Amino acid sequence: MLNYFPNTSVTHGMGNQFRPFAIQMVTKMGFQFSAMLIALLTIMLGSGAIASELESGLIQGILTRPIHRYQFILGKLGGLVLLACTYATLLFTSILVIGALFGLSTITSLTFSQILSGWLLYLLLPVAVLCVTIFGSVTFKAVPNGILMIFIYILGNVGGMVEMIGQYVNNNSVIGTGIFISLVSPFQTIYSTMERIMVPNSELAAGAMAGASLSGSGKPASIWMFLYIAIYMLGFVTLAIRKFSAKDIS
Amino acid sequence: MIIETHALTKKYGNKTACEQINLAVEAGQVYGFLGRNGAGKSTCIKMLTGLVFPTSGSGTVLGKPLGDVSARERMGYLPELFRYQDWMTGLDLLNFHAQLIKLKNKKDQITRVLKLVGLEGQEKYKVGAYSKGMQQRIGLACALLPNPQLIFLDEPTSALDPIGRKDVRDIIVALKKEGTTIFLNSHLLSEVEAVCDSVTFIHKGTVVKSARMDELLMNKISLTIRAKGMTEDLLVTMHNQYQSLQILADGSLTATLKDYEEIPALAAKLISNGVTLYELTPHRETLETVFMQLVGEEGLSSQQS
Repeated sequence: MLNYFPNTSVTHGMGNQFRPFAIQMVTKMGFQFSAMLIALLTIMLGSGAIASELESGLIQGILTRPIHRYQFILGKLGGLVLLACTYATLLFTSILVIGALFGLSTITSLTFSQILSGWLLYLLLPVAVLCVTIFGSVTFKAVPNGILMIFIYILGNVGGMVEMIGQYVNNNSVIGTGIFISLVSPFQTIYSTMERIMVPNSELAAGAMAGASLSGSGKPASIWMFLYIAIYMLGFVTLAIRKFSAKDIS
Repeated sequence: MIIETHALTKKYGNKTACEQINLAVEAGQVYGFLGRNGAGKSTCIKMLTGLVFPTSGSGTVLGKPLGDVSARERMGYLPELFRYQDWMTGLDLLNFHAQLIKLKNKKDQITRVLKLVGLEGQEKYKVGAYSKGMQQRIGLACALLPNPQLIFLDEPTSALDPIGRKDVRDIIVALKKEGTTIFLNSHLLSEVEAVCDSVTFIHKGTVVKSARMDELLMNKISLTIRAKGMTEDLLVTMHNQYQSLQILADGSLTATLKDYEEIPALAAKLISNGVTLYELTPHRETLETVFMQLVGEEGLSSQQS
């Protein structure tokens, strides 16, 4: 894309002027698609984590061992979190390395604290997805759970867009709807906060490219929103444990 | 009692899987749990192992309330629909279960159970590559891993060939000698008859009979007599001696004897009274005949009447 922009008829002769826009777009797209990939892989990992073992009967041999059911859920969750975070770290590092190799200013100008905060938020996304998926895995069968989780994840993207549109048209009820959707599915909020830390809207190009992603155009989520996300995650894990602890394994 | 239940009931919505199940299993026994498909046997076992929660009623397993986690340290379970992590090798699977049990002498125990179930040398292969019989054997090995005081075997020989079945029978007998209590659910009645000390029959979710095996079969012998020249006086005399004597529609007689030793005396008596004897056939009561009487459709109607 960086090579494409300077050579198009529209941008002919204006390569250097468009380069900052292209860099912004490439960086944002890199993070956005990788985050989406991570979220979908996490859903694939987690949707059948318990449901498939319940369906196959594999779980019977394990739950008749001296372990509590909450230990089983937390063990599953812990393993999946480790796996998803390892994969997310690999992807995150890859983006940074590739960006640095191509000399993208968005990447080369990053500070350590930006990278650390961005990485932690990048990891928070699959962890949050897993917390909900585990609850779904206890409640539904593997395939319906996967479909439902993809729907919830996409709903978060829609929420981001609705909020963005609300801000463009300056309509509070539309913004409110977007926020409500973000409360139901806060994954996009996590991503957009991460994106704003990694690709801040300080430059003119960044401001101009703000609408190029689906992450909305609002400010990074407040500490209260992150407190809500923590309660949201904890709530779903607690619900999963409670439901599983009372479940008949038949 | 190593297992004791009081009015254990499990309902799924309007459907009753088990109703008012009362069990009392003595330690060191091989306890047979019999019934037709869908009678509620597996549900009952799952309640005892803590997989399913009873709707009402109570019970104890190894002195702990149903579902107590600590009781599972001394318990083994081979599920009816055995399924194990097929990406693991047999050894990995046993190591995994040993970790779940927090087994101390892991290596020795694994070697012991592999030898016991006849899977020595096969433990390096993946469980997914095992035959169905081998998968059942590795399942049995997992169940035996904690050296359990109580082991639930739900159809332990369903995938095994006759030699495998005999091996499992031998394992059951060996475990019994070591003092292990075995709760056996099997459709192979000859197998149950060969190894069980007590049995419980369950039909449509309710216990229809619980008895010790020897009491149940009582070594009763049903004798069929085909003879010619039976007088009325002789029949009266015989009836006084064998009150169960009956004349069947085809003219033959049946009598229930307590001992095989009664047969020669009975034959001598008939011959000395001038009776011509054509047939004298003893039939020992089997678990199958008892099973049919108790849980066959006819048995059910007679139970209900």
